Formats: sequence, structure tokens, C-alpha cells
Amino acid sequence: MSGNILEVAGLTAGYGQIEVLHGLDFTVANGEIVVILGANGAGKTTTMRAISGMIGRTGSVRFDGNDISTARPDAVLRAGISQVPQGRGTFTDLSVEDNLRAGAYTVKGSTVGDLDRWFEVFPRLLERRDQRAGSLSGGEQQMLAIARAMMNRPKMLLCDEPSLGLAPIITQNLFKILGELRDEMGMALLVVEQNAGLSLKLADRAYVLETGHIVATGTGDELLADDTIKQAYLGGVG
Amino acid sequence: MSLPKRTPQYSALHWVGRIAIFALPLAYVYFRVLGKTGIVGDGWSNSGLGLLADAFIIAIAVMGVNLITGFTGQLSIGHAAFFALGAYVGLSMTDGRVSTPFFGPDNVWSPGWTIPVAAVLCFLVGCAVGLPALRLKGIYLALTTLVFVEAVRSVLKYQKFADVTGGSTGIKGDKYSPPPWTEALGLEGRGDLNEWMIYLSLGLLLVIMFLVSGLLRSRVGRSMIATRDNELAAEVMGVNLSVVKTVVFGLSGAITGIGGALFGLKLGLVDGDVPLFGLFGAITFLVAMVVGGAAQVWGPLVGAVFYVFVNERARSVGEAPGDFSRDFQVALAISVAVIVILVARYVTRNLDRIKANVSNEALRAAAIVVSAAIGIYVLQDVLLGISGGGKLDGLGGVIFGLMLIAFARFAPFGAVGTFRLGRNRLVQVVPKPPAGATVVPQPARAADGSDTVDLESATDTAGVDAPD
Amino acid sequence: MSLFIQRMFDGLAEGSIYALLALALVVIFRSTGQLNFAQGEIGTLCAFFASTLTLSGLPVWLSILIAMAIGFLIAAFVERVVVRPIEDRNPGAVIVALIGVFLAVNQLSAMFWGVDARALPSLFPTGANDFFRIGGAAIRYERVGIIGVLIVVLLLLYLLFNKTKIGLAMRAVANNQESSNLVGIRVGNILILGWGLAGAIGALSAVMLAPSAALSGTLMLGPFLLASVAAVLGGLDSPVGAVVGGILIGLLKAILIGYVSFLSDMLFPVMLVVLLGVLIFRPSGLFGTEKVVRV
Repeated sequence: MSGNILEVAGLTAGYGQIEVLHGLDFTVANGEIVVILGANGAGKTTTMRAISGMIGRTGSVRFDGNDISTARPDAVLRAGISQVPQGRGTFTDLSVEDNLRAGAYTVKGSTVGDLDRWFEVFPRLLERRDQRAGSLSGGEQQMLAIARAMMNRPKMLLCDEPSLGLAPIITQNLFKILGELRDEMGMALLVVEQNAGLSLKLADRAYVLETGHIVATGTGDELLADDTIKQAYLGGVG
Repeated sequence: MSLPKRTPQYSALHWVGRIAIFALPLAYVYFRVLGKTGIVGDGWSNSGLGLLADAFIIAIAVMGVNLITGFTGQLSIGHAAFFALGAYVGLSMTDGRVSTPFFGPDNVWSPGWTIPVAAVLCFLVGCAVGLPALRLKGIYLALTTLVFVEAVRSVLKYQKFADVTGGSTGIKGDKYSPPPWTEALGLEGRGDLNEWMIYLSLGLLLVIMFLVSGLLRSRVGRSMIATRDNELAAEVMGVNLSVVKTVVFGLSGAITGIGGALFGLKLGLVDGDVPLFGLFGAITFLVAMVVGGAAQVWGPLVGAVFYVFVNERARSVGEAPGDFSRDFQVALAISVAVIVILVARYVTRNLDRIKANVSNEALRAAAIVVSAAIGIYVLQDVLLGISGGGKLDGLGGVIFGLMLIAFARFAPFGAVGTFRLGRNRLVQVVPKPPAGATVVPQPARAADGSDTVDLESATDTAGVDAPD
Repeated sequence: MSLFIQRMFDGLAEGSIYALLALALVVIFRSTGQLNFAQGEIGTLCAFFASTLTLSGLPVWLSILIAMAIGFLIAAFVERVVVRPIEDRNPGAVIVALIGVFLAVNQLSAMFWGVDARALPSLFPTGANDFFRIGGAAIRYERVGIIGVLIVVLLLLYLLFNKTKIGLAMRAVANNQESSNLVGIRVGNILILGWGLAGAIGALSAVMLAPSAALSGTLMLGPFLLASVAAVLGGLDSPVGAVVGGILIGLLKAILIGYVSFLSDMLFPVMLVVLLGVLIFRPSGLFGTEKVVRV
């Protein structure tokens, strides 16, 4: 399938008087994983919030043929974008199963089938289905956050720093799952990350974000091989 | 271009302003309210004098509340308990129910001495209350103080303590007649009770205001404000939270207790059901503090005067305004005129900046205050029409409730605080450049609108235009 | 013995009323971290409405339902118009505004209904012979009825929160507003719903209390204070705690009045001691969750 599912042009956003994003242009094609790499303060979470409609923004955001430049969060959700927020954002007082049900809040009709399916993909969540979500480990909560986002039957997933606070081996597993989502379901993913090594391997294409500007773009392999990227984000050349 | 060598000097006009802030109200009270020398009429009626004395007394009580809630950030809805304690101490002692070996024949204390005793007692109780309060924050503290108020009330009404407190019927004693030495001031004994109370309460109020502003400038004062703004940071910087909170609770209790003692002495009776001794007292003090200005030295006085007179006006809707009411309306009209002039001046100078920054809190707050004043004036006749004449119980309360909401939303620093914020924006303070230097206009001292009140403006009592 | 049973039922009934009011307070605290200071007064206003409605001929149960609806509307209005604008800018000022609502509502009642006591018939039969016997004690139907109402409300709330989508949304909002936004829950509407629900429950507690107490402007002043203490004791974010706290306080009051005669007028000093005792050792109440403050 060709064609872009997400097209962002001139995205400008900020908080109050402070402008954080200065006119970003990027795209995500169908069935593609795009990584936006950036250090702290580069504007990664702001980008996620801007696309989701949680903060005011100017510029053009087109998704799946629809213009969502001024849509509110629930409209963005209904258009087919789900967000996995930074820090997981699980409902810590709710059970695992309730978390998943909450994810399907805007879905009409029965969601039992979705529940079964995602419990199959994440057997650890099935084991813990009645447990309080706050008692899960970091990696398990990340799985839960992804599953919750998927309960909405989205066409694209936004992931905000999924590897944050997770051990490398868990991150590897996590990225493997994200890859499977793309391969087996044709999901498009937009992932913002600080962790360049693993995420660039996962990415089909990537952008580099620095203080609100996109300063580089290429395929995952191209950027991995690039010396300046290596220096800045991978700790040295070679 | 070289910087001006001297730090900004206040002009002579500034000092005139500072003195005027004190002298004018005092002159007003002396000449107009008390009618001395007959220059501005014969003075207010006796009931009007009583109201003004009430206002001063409530102002003293609110000074205490302001100390712990406004300046130190510990929300106490319970200070009405100290008010009650102070009143009971005053009357219990003057009624001869407390036996001590010293002072007073037959254990009947002279009223004047009960005031310091009330202060000391309330200080001790306040410190005792402050100790458990150390562990309580926010809503938990507020609720506990509320229970404290009712607990104190129950104790005061307890029949087994009737010897000292008069139990459920309370104490009916004598009002505080002017002592003999006041003949020199022109007071003629019992008939001039209210006038005497005005002298006494206003005098004490001014002393307390002076002491409090001194306290705020001191180390303790700065610790208080640091505690309010960020307890953790304050502690890290060396503020001994336990000592500060406990001592300030004690001091604030003592001050409110003085107010209570005066209240009892003026009223001549106390019993457990006096509204100001319970929840409604706590709310009254809160209204006066919020409307007048939390964390402002002048706030309680402004708030208390406002409360007493609006309440009175609300209760006598449709009756002809007495002297005091008329004066109040005149004062309101003058304030409106001053605000309008200042605002017009500000607007004409800053048209562009205003267009870019429409949400100007000072302007909005001024608009609120003005609208409230106009509204009260207009509404009373409307309501009179609806109710078919007669008194409207509860109107005052509704107005005050709505004002609390409006002030919480638009003017959390009350009238005085908002005036300060607005004044800083409305008024340019330009340092006098040394002769010969190029004049670079300085921007107005910007109030950044954050919710911390810095020490200078908290203790500053006047500010007037410098020539620009 | 029979007197003891009677007193226990009295305490349970009164405690049920405190439990209902405490529940209303906790529902709001869980979702917004605010204590609805005006809860009791809104209840009083609704009770006045119910009284006027029954006087004009409506059956009691209908007046009560209408009163609850009015409570729902007023509380929802307060959330949307008073609390939310202030909360966005200055969370500390919300309690001041709520005290303002307290005052305004209380005095509004006084303006329209005066200060004299009124009558509100009870939902349950209260004739001289309307009681049954347990172990020799005469238990009035009304007492059992009030306890029954509490149980019914608890059941309905349980079903609402655990078996419905809206209930799930309310629990989600109470836990994490931002994530609720992310899954498409309209947080603003849920908040209004939560406050409205609390308002209705508060009205119910007032209407249950009014027949046996004096329906005047001061009806809910004491109960509000006791219910707040109950909520704090139980843990401000725990509905279970609210109910347990309310019942305990009702029983404590009954024991005090019945068996510790020299303390029977000292309810509030006793409450103060109990409150301080619990808060000093368990600052979040008996069933509340400890909050960790990140430095």
C-alpha cells in the first residue's frame, strides 16, 4: 500500500506565550514506522500533544484523508489515532481489564473480541487481568498502555518515549512487539524517542528534532550510519 | 550613558501620601464620625458609632486570622474559637467568676485588664493548637479547626463549668463604661460607651497593625511568608517550621482573642449561641479577610468596615440611610471616581499594550469591585420592590457569599491587594536622574501577577505618583 | 439489653445519614481533590423544596425524587460555573469560593423560606405503632428504613461504578485525568456528572434527616461537620471509609448520649480528640491511600 496516512506541514505549537515547535514538516506512510529522535527539551512530547489535539496548534495535520488540524482529542481518537503517553499513563487504581475497557471507551459495539485478542498477544496481561494496574512492573505497564491504545482499533499509534525507564532487554522485546504490529497488522507507528540505537533499527524512516526544528531525515539505516547522529545520540563515532 | 548614581528617591509627595494614609482616616473619625468641634456636623448616631466600633473590633479579629492564613498559608477556619475565648475571659473576669489573689477587690477585675489576660490565654491556647496543626495540611487543617470551633463552643456551654462560663445561659455582665480618666476627652460615662469603644478599639487596632507590619519585616515575618509559599523550600533554607507555625498560631490566636475581649466588653453579655462565636464567625472573618485583602496589613480593616456596613445596609433595605450609611455611599462614590480616573489615565497611556493584553487582572478586579458596589446600591431597591417592603433577611449573606466567589476567582488578594497590583501598573515610579544624564524612561514596576506577595509590598502602606 | 439494641439502631440510622453525606463528599474529593463545603447547604435547600412540594400536595416519594434532581442540578452548576474556572487558575482559592457558595446557599434558603422550622413528612410510616420487636427492643420502621436506603444507595453506586461504562469513566477520571482525555473520555462532562451525583446523594441525606430533626436553615450544619469528620477518618478518597466512618460516628454519638452522660454535650470535643488521634497516626485516614509527595 502506498500513500501517506499522516501528513504534517508547518506544525507550530507551544504553551502560552512560549513557542516550542517552529513549523515542522513530516509524514508517515501506511504501514510504516517513523521515529522522531530528539534530546530532552527538543519538543517530542509537544509534537505528540499537538497531533492529538491536546494543545493549541497552527499548521496542517492531515490524517487518512481527513483534516484534523483543529480537532479536539476525542475527535482525533475517532479519526483513528491512539496515543501511548510518556510514562505509560495507565490507570493505576483500575484493574488491567478495566484499563483495556477504558481504552475502548469510544468504540461502539461489543469489545469482548478485542479483549480476547489482546490478551492473546500479551499473555502476561491475561495472567494479571484482575490485578491493580499500579502493581505491574514497568515493562508490563508499557504493554498494557500499548494494548489499551490498540483497543480503540486505531489506524496509527503515537508512542511517546516507550523505552523510558525500561531495561534494555525489555525495550528490545517492546520494540519487537511494535515491529510485529507493523508487519502483521499493517499499523503505522509514529514513535518519539531519545534512545537512538534500538529505535533507529526499528524505524523505516526517521527525523531528528532539535529545539523545535527538524534538522535531519533519512531511513533508519542511513541515520544509524551517519557520524553526526552517532556523536550526538549514540555516544561517539564508531 | 551612565547609570544614575543614586537609588530611586521617594519624592516629597510620596511621604505626604504615606502620612495622609494614616491622618485622613483618623481625621475623618475624629471630626465627622465623632462630630468633635462640629465642623462637619454633629457626628453619627449612637447606633452608627456602635457599628464603627464593631468594625474595628472585627478588624482586630481578622488581623489574627490574616496572620496565620494570609501570611503563613495555614488555612484556619477556627479562629472564631479564640474570639469566643477572649470574650468569655473578659466577661468572666469582670463578673467576678475567676478568683486570683492579685488585682481587683473581691475578684472583680477592671475591664481594661482583662484584655491582656485574654491575649495571653489565647496565645497559650493558640500555641497548644498549633502543635497538632503541625502535622495537618490544607483541607485536613481547615476541617480540624472547624471541629475545634465547635469543641470550644461545647466546652464554653458545658453546664459543669457554669461557675466560670455561665454554662448554657452564658454571662450577663456590665458593658465597659468609659473609665473616669476619659472625661478629659469629653466622654461622659455610660452614655458615651460606643464612643469610648471606638477610641479603644481603633487605638488597639493601630497598635496591632504597627506591630504586625514590624513583625513581617523581621526574620520571623519572612519565615512566615516562606512557609506559605513553599514549605519544603523554606525548611531546606533553615526555617524552623515547628517554631514558626506554633508561635504564629499563638500570636494570631492572641490577636483574635483581643478582638473577642473587646467584643464581650462592648456587648456586655456572652453566651454559646452568639453567631460570631461559631461557624458563622469563622466565615465572617474569612469574608472580611478575602474582600479586604489577604496578606495585606490594611486588608482586615478595609474588609471589616466593608462587611459591617454592607451587612447593615442589606438588613435595612428600603429604610432611609443613616449618617453612617450615607458616608459609606459617599466613600464608595469617591473610590469609584478615583478608580475611574486612574483607569482612564492608564488606558490612554497604554492603549497598544492593552489591546495586546486584554486580560488585565487589575482592570478586571477593579471592574468587579465597582460593579459589586453599584450592584448593591441598585439591587436594594429592586429587592425591596420584590419583597414588598420590609427587611430581607439573608440578603447580606447572599451578597457576601457571591463576593467570596467573585474575589476567589478574580481578586484573590482582595481590595487592598488588587489595588496594590493595579497601582503598580497604573502608576509610574521613575527614579530622579542626576542632573545632565540622558533620561531613559523606566517601565512601571511590573507586578508579575504571580501569587506571591513580596515583602516590600506587603509592608508598604502607601504609594503615590512620583513626578514623571 | 433492649435499650441497648434500640440505641444501636438509632445510632445506625443516624450514622447512615452521615454515611450518605460523607459518600457525597468522597465522590467529589476522589475526582477533583476538593471538599465540597457547600454540600450540606445544598441538601438543606433541597429539603426545603421537598417540604414545599409536599405541602402543595405531591406525594412524599415524588417530592424527594424531585429534590434529589434539584440537588443534582445545583451541584453540577457549582462545578461548572464556580469550581472549574477557579481550579484552572488558582486551586487554593477553590475552598474559599466553596465557602462562599455555602454562605450564599444558606442565606438564600433563609431569604425564601424564613428562619422558622418546617415540616417534612417521612418516607416511612412513623405512627405510634410503627415498630417491630427484636429481643424486646422496639425498633421503629423509620430507623430501619433509613438504613435500608443507605444499603440501596450503596448497591446502586456499586453497580454504577463497576458495571457501567459511565462508572468506568468516572473511576478513570478520578485516577488520571490526562489519560482519560487520551482514551476519549470527555473529562469535563464526567466531572459535572460526579458533582451532580454527589449533590443528589447529599439532598437524599438531608431529606432523610429532616423528618426527625427540625427542618430549618441549620439542619445540616452539624451533620455536615460530622460527615466531614467521618470522611476524613475513613480516608477522603475511600467510599468504603466514608460509610464506615459515618456509621462509626453515628454509633459513637448514640453511645455517648446513652451511656456516658457527663459527656453527652461534649460531642465535638470528643470528635476533636478522635480526629486528631486518627490523623496523627494515619494522616490519610483509616482506608485512604497514602500520597507520596515527590520532592
